[in-house]
Amino acid sequence: MPSKPLLKNLLSRQDTWRGRNRSLRKHVITTGNNSLDRLLLGGWPVSALSELVSQQDGIGELSILLPTLKRCANEDKLCVWLDPPYQPYAPALVSAGIPLHKLLVVRCKNSREWLWAAEQAIRGNALLFAWTNQTQPRYTDLRKLQLAAADSRSPAFLFSSTAVLKASSPALLRIELEALKANVLLITLLKLRGKAPGAKIQVSLGDESTERIELDKLPVNIHYPQLKKPDYLLPLKPEVLRLNT
Amino acid sequence: MKKHRINNIDQKKDIWLYIDFPLLALDAVLTDTDNTQAESAIAIASLQKNVQRIVCCNNHAQKWGIEPALSLSTALAICPNLLVLSRNHEQEERLLHSLALIAYQFSPEVIINDRGLWLELSGCDQLFHSYSKLLQRLHRQMLSLSVTATTGIAMSPLSAQLLCGQKFQYYLPDEDEIHHSLMATELFKLPGNQKQKNHFKQLGLESIGDLQALPRSALSQRFSPELIETLVLLNGEKPCTLNRFTPPIEFSDQIQIPQGLYSKDSLLFSMKTLLQRFCLYLSARQCHCRNVVWRFEPLLGECQSMAITLSGSNNNCSSLLTLSRLRLERLELPQSIEQISLFCDQFIDKPELSFDLFDDQITLDNQSSELIDNLYARLGVDALSQPSMSEEHLPENAGSISPPNRSAKPNYATSKAPQPLWLLTEPTRIQQHNKQLYWRQALTIISGPERLCGNWWQSEQQRDYYLACDSKGARYWVFRESMSKQWFVHGLFA
Repeated sequence: MPSKPLLKNLLSRQDTWRGRNRSLRKHVITTGNNSLDRLLLGGWPVSALSELVSQQDGIGELSILLPTLKRCANEDKLCVWLDPPYQPYAPALVSAGIPLHKLLVVRCKNSREWLWAAEQAIRGNALLFAWTNQTQPRYTDLRKLQLAAADSRSPAFLFSSTAVLKASSPALLRIELEALKANVLLITLLKLRGKAPGAKIQVSLGDESTERIELDKLPVNIHYPQLKKPDYLLPLKPEVLRLNT
Repeated sequence: MKKHRINNIDQKKDIWLYIDFPLLALDAVLTDTDNTQAESAIAIASLQKNVQRIVCCNNHAQKWGIEPALSLSTALAICPNLLVLSRNHEQEERLLHSLALIAYQFSPEVIINDRGLWLELSGCDQLFHSYSKLLQRLHRQMLSLSVTATTGIAMSPLSAQLLCGQKFQYYLPDEDEIHHSLMATELFKLPGNQKQKNHFKQLGLESIGDLQALPRSALSQRFSPELIETLVLLNGEKPCTLNRFTPPIEFSDQIQIPQGLYSKDSLLFSMKTLLQRFCLYLSARQCHCRNVVWRFEPLLGECQSMAITLSGSNNNCSSLLTLSRLRLERLELPQSIEQISLFCDQFIDKPELSFDLFDDQITLDNQSSELIDNLYARLGVDALSQPSMSEEHLPENAGSISPPNRSAKPNYATSKAPQPLWLLTEPTRIQQHNKQLYWRQALTIISGPERLCGNWWQSEQQRDYYLACDSKGARYWVFRESMSKQWFVHGLFA
């Protein structure tokens, strides 16, 4: 009789064929957005590497993953952010409902450490968000991560810039993110096992109003009257103490 | 009915096992040296009454005629090639304690004697299915420390010691057999002074059976009260009051490598041995460790130490070894290491796990703490951090980065205004040309402001935060300093 964890690992693999299982991909995690779910055949692939390509930061590349992040964190999964380009802002994460103690930000010194940490996180069944700004992983490195992800039970996300589009990727899913305007993302499917590439959808990330405010029409600044600081707030001058002789 | 039960309890007798280590002094010194010496005649000598005398010797030396209590000069005259090592009491004691730790796995009552161990075995057979299996496993584990052990089994500690034979026996003799062999034991083995032994001889008493046959009152008139006390202990009429062994409150162990180790890979073998002993200690104390400290000492120069922090749940030997190996990669070691020591004094009680039917939760929790430990060990403490909140108004203070802490912290109320996911570590000043803001490219303000004031007790800050976007649709969090009227970018809405 096979040992329990061995069987469990085997059954949790995506490429294990199980008799009556008709659907092509059952191991997905919902994105929280119906049209995106339809594009991705059900959601983000679990046990696989997904690559999100965007030309620049700040267009909403992280916001579309927030529902997934929230879900994984609330399932008590550790979420590892590997080499994020900026500092994650805690109040924004808290208002998105993400428990902060489930996040772990990891900074690496070189690409070897980056690859090792990414693989460890995947093998440790953590939710991985990895940024490739400082390190340009090679195809073989990514292939290693994809293989590690195939054995794990979590999705792994890779954020890269459009420069990587010249090369092919071993990731199971590759999408390109562009901002049509503020808060509206255009998502292009570049690669997904089981679906032809090229499909595009628009995803709204919330408030779409782009009413522009001219600088000279900003609400008037309310100036505080410049109060003179009271004396007791001024730093004390060092005084020479004289001994009474 | 009640009386019957009391009788039953009375009938349950102690079973005492005495394990004697006749070559303890030799084994303690030899464990750390290499095996090539085992081929030659070796003896341990120590100073007794101003004369160096042999304490014990190995088989090769015995063939030459060396025996304990022989003076060193005589021994060297008999066997000129005899390798004489001096006795090391400290190492002997350490070895005896590690043996006691092994014995503690088999019996809750372990007593340390100066050259052996007592174990009370009654009832311990249930866990191991039979006494012979217990004894076999005990012997196998003791052999892992390469010691010579002989045993004796009886109903009281003292008689077990007297019945100690020449080898480690695996079967439990029945009561009659024990009684019979005890009665046949020669009297000179009984502890006591020479005068008492002469007295026995004069009376024509040869075995313990002869002595026991005499009435107690007659013995008390002829002999000292100590003998009566000994007999009481021998018959198990009085419970043994010697101190029971308990694992020490902190763990410290070391391995010496006199020939020196020159590579990190060769260190791992000794480290594994130490970790195995450590895990034995942890299971004896039924606790988990928080951190362990390794020390690598060269013969000359400064020693190096490294600490390994554990988040709690993975306290097995292999994961500790993995962590130590990962940490060792980052450590600059002296050229040759002669002593490796392991130390631990921070323990937590073993968490009581309630097993889930599908045991998913526990493995998940274990996996994340294992992952954190691994990342810590390889990348260092500075590499890991966690966003955390504090009750501050200014964004750079409100959301800070702190060392990872796996417990949930209180979350403070957050603003309802849109907040960015990315924060620049420091606000970056942006340029303004003719009503147009520039940071990397032209920025347009789309909503705002949200006024934040803070830090009034140090340097007053009043900022109006706006949401800006560039031509490509990226959104930024910008603010205008009220005092200086300067524009800054502070975050990105990713």
